[in-house]
Amino acid sequence: MRRERPGQTLQPTALVHEVYLRLADAGTPWKDERHFVGIAARSMRQILVERARARGAQKRWAGLDRVSLTESLVHAAAEDAMLPALDEALDRLEKIDPEQAKIIELRYFAGLGIEEAAAALGMSPATLKRRWSLARAWLFRELSEPGR
Amino acid sequence: MNAEQRRRVREIFESALDRDPAVRAAWVDASAPDDAEVRREVMSLLDHHSRAGSFLIDAVAARAPELLVDDGTDETALAAGTVIGSYAIVREIGRGGMGRVYLASDRKLGRQVALKVLTPVLTRDSGQRERLRREARAAAALTHPGICTVYALEEIGGDLFMASEFVDGKTLRAEIAVGRFPSVPMIMATARELADALASAHRKGITHRDLKPENVMRTADGRVKVLDFGLARVDAESSGAGSTLAAATLPGVLLGTPAYMAPEQIEGRPADARTDVFAYGVLMYEFISGEHPFEAASSLARAARVLDSQARPLDERRPDLPAAIGGVIDRCLRKTPSERYSTAAEIVADLDRDAPVRISRRNVGWWRMHQLAVMALYVVAATVAWKVKEVRGDAIALWLFVTLCLLAAFVGIIRGHLVFTERMNRRRLSGERKRTDRAKFVGDLLIAAAVVVDGLALAPITALGGSLTMALGIAIALAAVLMEPATTDAAFGN
Repeated sequence: MRRERPGQTLQPTALVHEVYLRLADAGTPWKDERHFVGIAARSMRQILVERARARGAQKRWAGLDRVSLTESLVHAAAEDAMLPALDEALDRLEKIDPEQAKIIELRYFAGLGIEEAAAALGMSPATLKRRWSLARAWLFRELSEPGR
Repeated sequence: MNAEQRRRVREIFESALDRDPAVRAAWVDASAPDDAEVRREVMSLLDHHSRAGSFLIDAVAARAPELLVDDGTDETALAAGTVIGSYAIVREIGRGGMGRVYLASDRKLGRQVALKVLTPVLTRDSGQRERLRREARAAAALTHPGICTVYALEEIGGDLFMASEFVDGKTLRAEIAVGRFPSVPMIMATARELADALASAHRKGITHRDLKPENVMRTADGRVKVLDFGLARVDAESSGAGSTLAAATLPGVLLGTPAYMAPEQIEGRPADARTDVFAYGVLMYEFISGEHPFEAASSLARAARVLDSQARPLDERRPDLPAAIGGVIDRCLRKTPSERYSTAAEIVADLDRDAPVRISRRNVGWWRMHQLAVMALYVVAATVAWKVKEVRGDAIALWLFVTLCLLAAFVGIIRGHLVFTERMNRRRLSGERKRTDRAKFVGDLLIAAAVVVDGLALAPITALGGSLTMALGIAIALAAVLMEPATTDAAFGN
């Protein structure tokens, strides 16, 4: 009857706070929900990546194959180390296909579900899912074969 | 690779996903027979797709606290038995945005206290320290049974500690998480006590700004107590780059918790008592229905909904809820601050004013009983009309009987429908009542008139029978004119 979300209270609270602060500081008036979610997802990406960089995360990063990130991503530390590299790869993806980069921002950085992300981008959930798979495959290749 | 090739890659990749892995290679070959580069790229991506496992599947947003927390704050837990000033640590009881909270015993006064160790980030800056002191002083001025009392703000060895009343109980969050709907009396009591506590602070010009189920405790004897009063304001006045930095390491404190933030807070406009009123509305809504009024899959999506969607009416989720409390919460949740209550004291006033007319089971019981009793009267009336027809044996009595039966069936069905709606589909009851009100009233009067005429017709034959029949008719009329409005009013308050 009622959905429970264990641990919800601690969830992305901290992050979202800073996102709000940035949005408020920037004084960006958002036009609508879609716009708001888009800006916020971008801010989340920036914040997390900045933090990871500040901690010297990229020094611990040696590419996906050696860390076998597919399994150990659950580890915050491993994920942290990946973030700067992921950010750079996302920049490259954005040049090729901005929509795919946006999908990753919404799904991975902002934590939106398939439906929500699809609504935010004005596409069907089925299309979003397929395109998300493509973006993941592309990024996975970028991160597992650095310097390709 | 050019844009056109990339577009083909995307199309072929996406349609290959829908196909059986065994035939994908053949499908890719068939889809781009003319371009080896496109084929190679698609195959490479499909290969990586199959190996990507859970890569990027779980949103990093969910793990953000872990990623952000170890940001140079050298917070370590204090072991049991550690002595700080006159306090001896007993155990850790929680961790909040401002630091860890311990149960400690105050050795000077011999009582248990909740000791909050404020994180160094908060206290490093002298301006911040001063604000903290001021806020603690203001919070300490609040003495209300519904507010956790602040005892002292201590500076020991350069660290700041806040000692406050130790509240032994469960948070409303824990109650909500159990997943059982609270009873109506429980809702009313919680709404009233919480509003009262907030009102006492608002009267002193202190706002909470971070009201949420985690910050409200229910003590062992069932009363509610609000924690962390006024602390949320600490950073509100500071500005500049420093605050941004501090904010990120102090989740849940400086700006309020996103899920309970009012639209003006989200938009960075100043907050006041009406912001608390909004949070109160969200909290009560969630307490009553078990769901956040702006439920969405992520905090962010929820914040977006706070800004521009309306909450689903509470009575759709809890049809048994007194209309009054639904109305109060609805007003708390208005987007524009000026449309809300201006302070919690107004909420208290509204709750109190509505208290006498709130629906209780007993009152609805009277209404229901009235409906059933009137239906029974119809049966008696029809039986009497049948008897009159038997005794007189003329056409008038026959027509009176037929008319009466038709009317009784008609109004009886309406009443049966209302009783059913009240039991099974409460949400639509008031609409149905309005719709049928007049027909029911007119029907009753016609039935009463028919019975009286029957009584008149019977009177020449048997005076006693005639009088009794007329009395029955008058009773039906009076029930419609006097009693029905009274029982309806008692049940639904209008």
